[in-house]
Parts: sequence; C-alpha cells; structure tokens
Amino acid sequence: MLAYNSTTLDNLEIKEEAEKALRKNCIELSTYKAIEAAHPVNFYTPNPVIKIGLFILTVVIVSFSLGLLSLMMLDLLRNEDGFAGLCILAGLVCYGVLELFIREKKLFRAGVDDALLWGAVLLICSSMAIVDHVSAGTICFVVCFVTLLATLRFADMVMAGVSYLAFLGFIFTVAMELGPVAKIIMPFLIMVISFTVYVAVKKISGYHFSRHYKHCLTVISVLSLLTLYLAGNYYVVRELSNVMFGLQLQDGQSIPGALFFWAYTAVVPLVYLWLGIHKKDAVLLRTGMILLAAIVFTVRYYHSVLPLETAMVLGGLVLTVGAWALIRYLKTPKHGFTYVETEDPSLADKLKLESLIIAQTYVPGAQPATTNDIQFGGGSGGGGGASGDY
Amino acid sequence: MNIKVFEKLRAAELINDTELGAVKAAEDQRLFSLHWEIKTLLYLGVLLLSGGLGILIYKNIDTIGHQVILLIIGAISAGCFSYCIRKKAPFSWEKVNSPNAFFDYALLLGCLTFVTFVGYLQFQYTAFGTAYGLATFIPLAVLTVSAYYFDHLGVLSMAITNLAAWMGIALTPFQVLSANDFGNERLIYTGAILGVLLLSLALISARKNLKKHFAFTYQNFGAHIIFIASVAGMIVFDTGWIAWFAFMAVVAYFLYQEAFKERSFYFVLITVLYSYVAISIAVVRLLILTNDIGGIYLGLLYFIASAIGVIVLLINLNKKIKHARV
Repeated sequence: MLAYNSTTLDNLEIKEEAEKALRKNCIELSTYKAIEAAHPVNFYTPNPVIKIGLFILTVVIVSFSLGLLSLMMLDLLRNEDGFAGLCILAGLVCYGVLELFIREKKLFRAGVDDALLWGAVLLICSSMAIVDHVSAGTICFVVCFVTLLATLRFADMVMAGVSYLAFLGFIFTVAMELGPVAKIIMPFLIMVISFTVYVAVKKISGYHFSRHYKHCLTVISVLSLLTLYLAGNYYVVRELSNVMFGLQLQDGQSIPGALFFWAYTAVVPLVYLWLGIHKKDAVLLRTGMILLAAIVFTVRYYHSVLPLETAMVLGGLVLTVGAWALIRYLKTPKHGFTYVETEDPSLADKLKLESLIIAQTYVPGAQPATTNDIQFGGGSGGGGGASGDY
Repeated sequence: MNIKVFEKLRAAELINDTELGAVKAAEDQRLFSLHWEIKTLLYLGVLLLSGGLGILIYKNIDTIGHQVILLIIGAISAGCFSYCIRKKAPFSWEKVNSPNAFFDYALLLGCLTFVTFVGYLQFQYTAFGTAYGLATFIPLAVLTVSAYYFDHLGVLSMAITNLAAWMGIALTPFQVLSANDFGNERLIYTGAILGVLLLSLALISARKNLKKHFAFTYQNFGAHIIFIASVAGMIVFDTGWIAWFAFMAVVAYFLYQEAFKERSFYFVLITVLYSYVAISIAVVRLLILTNDIGGIYLGLLYFIASAIGVIVLLINLNKKIKHARV
C-alpha cells in the first residue's frame, strides 16, 4: 500500500529516536553510531532549504511542460473537454514519474516528490472544474477519493487534510438533497461525523499498523476538532443557513435554537482547553486556544459589548498579565508543566527568524513632513504596527 | 522518546541497561512545555494592548494634546534605555548574551518608541526641518549604536531597514518587490550600492571578528537587495542589461564562494536560484531577438531542460556541502 519500504521507515524512526536520546545524553556516541549502522536508511532527503529550491524548480518544470504540451496540441484543444483531458494526462504522467523516482531514486520528502504528488492530484481534480458540467457533489467525491488514495500511498499530510475536508463537503452536498429537513439536521450531522472521525483517528493512531501515518492522523484530528466546533458555531450556522437555505434573516433576527448554538459556541473551546490541559494533549490545547479567539469574534460580531478600543485594552491587559503570571507560576515546573522550551534543533535559528519578523513588521518611522493634519494615522500606524511585534 | 523503540534496541543488544535506564528516566521526567502557547498569548496581549491604547489616544487627541503624548512616548523610551544600560553586560566585539529574558524586549520597546518619538516630532512640529535625511538619519544612528552596544540582532535588522529607508528603498522582507518601483533606474543603482555596502559590512564583521554573528543578517539583506536590483537592471535596461548580467555574475561568484566557506545551504540556494533567474532572462532576451514562433517552443524547452539541470545541480551541491561538513 505504501510507496515506501516499511522497514526503512521504521529504521528512520529508530534513528530519529536515537538522535533525541543522544542529544539528551542518554546514550553514548558510539552507541548511536552502532544503532545508525544497524538500521540503514537509504532515503534521499536533502537539507530543508535545498528542498524548497527543488520544490520550486519542479513546479517550474511541470508548468512549462504543460505549456509546451498545450502549444503542441493546440489543434486538439478546441474545447474545454480537450484541455481537461490534457490535464488528466499530465496528472497521470506526474504520478508515473513520482512512482519511478520513489522506486529508483528513493526520494523521501525531497521537494521533488511533494511537488509531483500535489501537481498530479491538482491536475487530475482540476480537470473536473474545467469542464463545468460536473456537480459539486461529484467533485467532492472524486477529490476525496483521489486524495485518500494518495494519502494511503504516500502518507502525505496535505493530502490527508484535503481528503477529510472533501469528505465533509461530499456529505454536505448529499445532505442538501434532503430538502427542508437538511437545514435542521445539517449542523448536527457535521458534528456527529467530526466527532466520530476524531474518536476513530484517536483509536487508529493507537494501533501499530498506523505508525507511518501518524502525521496524517494528527492533521485529521486537528481538522475534525475544528469542524466539530464550526458546525455548531453561531456565526457559521446563522450565516450559512442564510446563504444556503434561504432563511432570509434580517439583521438582529436569530436562528431557531439560537440558545443552543450560543452555548455551544462559548462552551466547546473551553472544553477543548480543559481536556487539553487535563490530558496533556497538545492538539486539543492549541485548537482550544485558537477557538477562544473564535468565541470573541462571534460574540463581537453580533453584540458590541464594549467599544472596540476598550475591549482591546482590557483583553490585552488580561492576556499580558495572565501570560506573565503563568510564566512566573511555571518558573519551577508544576503538575508536569513547564515554561522551558523543549530542545528542538529546528528552532535553533529562531533568533535570526525573529529578527526577520521584526524587520517585517517595522516600518521606518519618520514620514516626510506634511501640513495635512488628518494624515496623522500614517505616522501612528508605523509605530503601532512595530510595537505589536514586541 | 518512544520507550518501545529503546526496549527493542535493548533486546537487539545495541544499547545497554544503563542507557535504557537513562532513557526511561528522562522520559519519566519529561515535562509538557507550554513555552510557545504562553509566548503566543503574551504576544497577542501586547498586540491588543498597544493597538487599543493607540486607538484610545488617537480618539482623544484633542483632550490629551500632542505634548503629553510625546512626553509619554519619550518617557517609555528613556525608561527602557536606562533599564538596558543598567542591566547590560560589558561591551565586547564578541557575542554577548542578554542578561535576562526581559532585556531583549525592553531594548526592542525602547528602540521602537524612540523611532516613534522622532517620527512624531518630525510629523507634528517638523523638528528636523524639511530635509528628509535628518529625520531618518537620527534613528539610524541610534539604532546602529544600540544594536552593537547591546548586541541585539532584531535592532540590527531595524537599523538595516532604516539605512535602506534613508537611501530611499523599502527593505521590509515581504514588501521588497511590491513597495519599490524597480522600474526606476535610480532605485536600481541605489539598491546595488546598498547591496555592496551590506555585503562589505558582512565581510568585515566576519573577517575582523567584529560581532561575527551579525554577518548573517548583513549578508542576508545585502544578497537579496543586490540580486533583486541586478535582476531589475537586466529587465529595465534595454542596452545595458549585459553589463548588469556581468555584474551579477561577479556578485554570484563571490557569494557562492562565501556560502561554501560557511557551508550555508541557504546562501547556496538563493545564489543558485537568482542566477538561474538571471540566466533565464538573458536567454529570453536573446530568444526575443529571433522574432519567430519557434522561439516560444525553444523557450519552453529551455525552461524544462534548464530546471531539470538546476535540480541536478542542487542535489549535487547538497551532497558537496554535506560532505564538506563531515
């Protein structure tokens, strides 16, 4: 099923684990060398920076090849169907080249293979959009199916995520056919599916056979948590019902069952956060943190509780003081939590990255002198944007 | 770490009991790090706070008055700088580690408020006259001195951006292309000069051991601006493009040598990619001269073949740097 050799993937994991142990001084260097020698990894994975270059160049090759093909077959491409056929052909060629490279050159996350895989799937799926007599449901189904196959074969995270979303899209379009019932059950249907998928993913990731797919499973679990929330979020339900089911609500009018959706909007992120802290689950915790912002935006969209600036100042104060208090509290680790960074070599260049972010948000201050007083905002914008990074 | 993996390694007798014990102990003591979560909250909090206060002040400018605001901004800046001067480790041309976590942020806030202060003075009172140079030069001087005196890479990049602004170029990373009009010939020359200046600064700090760790930042900004200026030169100048091509070839050769000396994948990559763009422009310019439909086919074929060539080149270079490292 997988395009990669399972033993080699296992060896790669063992090597990475041994590297971690070496960094923490748990094992000797000679032991590490012995482990490395006993578990050969013959994948070709270049340096991450070079990988980006290889990715860009592969995209260049694919696009120009497509251009050349279209130019040569200009006569055959009189209508959309011809071009769609060309896209499918090109996608299949990409896929063939990808398989060949993985088998012969042992590429593994090398930039070239990512570009070919995404290119192949994109070309095949976009052919349906080009001919424009394919229904949305069919498109979702085919996208879901193609990306599912790609996920199973290449364990690619992006493919896994797209596949899950296309699956939801397919369910949505099918449920729409139900007519008036649809608008009542839709939020609950999506909720149930998201929840089932989340539980299933948790279950699957416990099994040994799923070990090579753990990153894909993480992506799907994050997305399923997000869709579980969004399915019941007041803003999403109200505006989607308005657009998709023609409820024609006026401003200020509410949807049926508003109380339930409001409670759901406010409670679910807190539940995520609580579970995340309780179970020390980074996925739940971070998703919960992102969704806290969703609560604020949803509430503020319908009710202006405070003037914007007062809300910003208050929220800022709470967050700053809270974060500062947490840092002080966790100075010595408590309940298994710490503020100390986990050592990760990929973050070693953080400082340089940080200096780039500062340069990005920093707009050199002094503006040329003008007499127009109204333009004051320009000057203050520079200062505000810059201090934001602090 | 995955205990099961290490138990298997123990069974295969690749590690001994003490090592397995050490791994297990380390795994037992492993803590759940909230570092990035808390840091994000802190950033977000400061962002909201400064934004909110900014709007509050802006709305109440009539009752507060400009002098008071200037005073507050100046006071914050002075306070931050005095804190930094009190806390700082003695100056050295080597890398100096910051005394504590808040030091870096205090310095950053001090510099940002100082820039705002000067900008405000200039905007409201035209304190530095209508000559544009002085109002940008003062922050430039203060930022440069602060970067070296307190050893702060973030402030150094602010100083570099300010230097560019003083010369008339926007050097903000994601807006280098959109904020500058590279069709303007004068801007291209300025960019090339700025690039040469920054690259020489990088060379000096690396060779003379003057804050050696600043070299990357100088070289990064310098390389991008000089390459972008050269590529723009090749596009804009109809007759002089060959001169820009030659100039770029010299720069690329120099940077390539430097990158290999430092074994930097990053600089090798950007040198190769920018050079590829330059060569492609040269090829396209020559193909346009043929003035024939065959030129388009040749161009497409060129791009496919050359991109494959560059991929092979990159793979080989990757191997070469890796082996140079061992």
